[in-house]
Amino acid sequence: MKNNLIVSDSPHLHKEESVTKIMWLVVASLVPAGIAGVYIFGFSALRIILLGAISAVITEGILQLLTKRKVTLLDGSAFLTGLLLAYNLPPKVPFWLPMVGSLFAIAIGKQIFGGLGQNIFNPALVGRVFLMASWPKYMTSFTQPLNYDAVTSATPLALIKEGKVLENISYLDLFLGKRGGCIGEVCILALLLGAIFLLMKGYISWHIPITYIATTGILTYIFGTKGLFSGDWLFHILSGGLILGAFFMATDYVTSPLTRKGQIIFGIGCGLITAIIRLWGGYPEGVSYAILMMNGATPIIDRFTKNRIYGTR
Amino acid sequence: MKGYFREFVKGIIKENPTFVLVLGLCPTLAVSVSVINGIGMGIAATFVLLGSNIIIALLKNIIPDRIRIPCFIVVIATFVTINEMVMKAYSPVLDRALGIYVPLIVVNCIVLGRAEAYAQRETVLNSFFDGLGMGVGFTLALILISAIREFLGAGTILGYKLIKGFEPAFVLAMPSGALLVIGLLLGFFNVLKNRKI
Amino acid sequence: MNPAQFLTIFISAVFIYNVILSRFLGLCSFVAISKETRPALAMSLSVMFVTIMSSIITWPIYRFLLIPFGLTYLRTISFILVIATFVQFVEMVIRKISPPMYRFFGIYLPLITVNCAVLGVAVLNVDMFFVGSKAIPGSFYYSVFQGVCVGLGYTLAMLLMSGIRERLDLCNVPKAVKDFPLAFIIASIMSLSFLGFNGFRF
Repeated sequence: MKNNLIVSDSPHLHKEESVTKIMWLVVASLVPAGIAGVYIFGFSALRIILLGAISAVITEGILQLLTKRKVTLLDGSAFLTGLLLAYNLPPKVPFWLPMVGSLFAIAIGKQIFGGLGQNIFNPALVGRVFLMASWPKYMTSFTQPLNYDAVTSATPLALIKEGKVLENISYLDLFLGKRGGCIGEVCILALLLGAIFLLMKGYISWHIPITYIATTGILTYIFGTKGLFSGDWLFHILSGGLILGAFFMATDYVTSPLTRKGQIIFGIGCGLITAIIRLWGGYPEGVSYAILMMNGATPIIDRFTKNRIYGTR
Repeated sequence: MKGYFREFVKGIIKENPTFVLVLGLCPTLAVSVSVINGIGMGIAATFVLLGSNIIIALLKNIIPDRIRIPCFIVVIATFVTINEMVMKAYSPVLDRALGIYVPLIVVNCIVLGRAEAYAQRETVLNSFFDGLGMGVGFTLALILISAIREFLGAGTILGYKLIKGFEPAFVLAMPSGALLVIGLLLGFFNVLKNRKI
Repeated sequence: MNPAQFLTIFISAVFIYNVILSRFLGLCSFVAISKETRPALAMSLSVMFVTIMSSIITWPIYRFLLIPFGLTYLRTISFILVIATFVQFVEMVIRKISPPMYRFFGIYLPLITVNCAVLGVAVLNVDMFFVGSKAIPGSFYYSVFQGVCVGLGYTLAMLLMSGIRERLDLCNVPKAVKDFPLAFIIASIMSLSFLGFNGFRF
């Protein structure tokens, strides 16, 4: 008798599109940012992107074979994880770094929990913080934009963390990506193009990204360097990995809350922690840590914001 | 004799304090960064464990149940102090390497855990072998974890660099890395045990 | 006494230098008792009670006994004894109130005595709120409040972990890592994420 009962865990999405289609469409929405990254930082960036994405796919295939589970490496989710991880790396890291990072991201960030839908933490970010803790030297060496000779430079956030004044950088520069930073995070324009596409198609909702970005903006405005209510919030929104994180990583269905209320709490939490780390923490950027911490809080958030179904306690 | 041997062996595998009983994690995380420290801590902890198990088993009928925990602590603290003094006298290098974790053996869950779960109700000889087994099991666990952490996290074993050009992953020198190693080792042991993933 | 100091203590103890996820104290019970939320909260409450009471008792012992008699090197031992007594008391109470809970905790209840978090608070109080042999103004109140906050931080970590583990219970995780191995890996990732708070300066 054919088993018509499907038992699965959240999220129970009833969309026409399959997981595969959504995943590859998200990948597609990230392509502009990748092209921009390669244009700004050179072909080494392309190498990193490809290594990251392909290593992730291979890792997933091998692990699924070893654990005798269904091999789903073509569903785009591993590719997406590897891609996002690569976007979070500086442009001149050694070739093995994205490979090791993707391996860790897929193995420890995803498969060890049982695969897609069951991971608690965003796998790409798990990979990134692992790399950051393991090889900080490589993860904090950035190069100048549009200068393919690998001249090192500091990112804008790193400069203000050290208290230096920023020269020769305008909001337009930040918006277009003319700054040091990670491959996929710098070109805000390209990222927003992809994000608007996803929003219009309904694949992500505005709740998390908008509350996230707004919270960070408000806090960095209030606690400015020249006294209260003097902060350069526009600079903060356009810098670091905030746009990339808010639209493409914090919105991951699996690792964020189910209800709208929960999502708003999630967005505010991410924004709070990001701002706190940027303003007073030791690191110049806190997006990855903030999202991971809120990923960890998501089960508890879900538990307390679940909609009451009629008839249950 | 067979019974005593069984008591000894159980502490090494079946009831390994680190991997099965999940005790003594704080010092494990901190100390297992290098193999030498792991061995040193293991030996020191074994000494304390033996001493406290024996004395508590000897005194079990005298110690009133209602205040047994503070009494155990006094016994344990005595052996920890003896150990500390001996270490400072005969191996000051190791004492400095282990730092505050030498006196902190007094809060090593394994020691109080065995006193509470075993020594207060078993014979002296049984308690001796239990303590020995637990201590050896703890030491072996420390050696295994610190070998992995030292090699992958610092590129050395017992202080000797092994592979040229190897870039160690610093995360393994952190407690986060220790937790990861222990988790993966546990999973690995389960695979061995059940022959499936 | 500085009111801003209380805010600092709260934020530090609960979030920035969380006793479990940043200082790595109290891990044995964290990994063992965090499988379900109810027992996790019960354990957290017990630990919090002990941290508060031990802060209250160890402070005068340090201030009025150890310092004047030059016995500060005995602090670890004396603190442990105080804590041991309190845990014995807590054990008696729980045994009376809820025998099933008592049996459930098993060995982890007396192990609160050697819960590094509890001794850690007492030692932290001394390190932070005494300068040399003198207590800073408000030292006692700061210490007690820190006892409360460390308990809260412990509770937060336990709550997060139990939420995660309860959710994973409904999932189909690889058999080899079910329960303990995965708990360690989750703890590893959680502590990696808390690295973000390193180097904090108010």
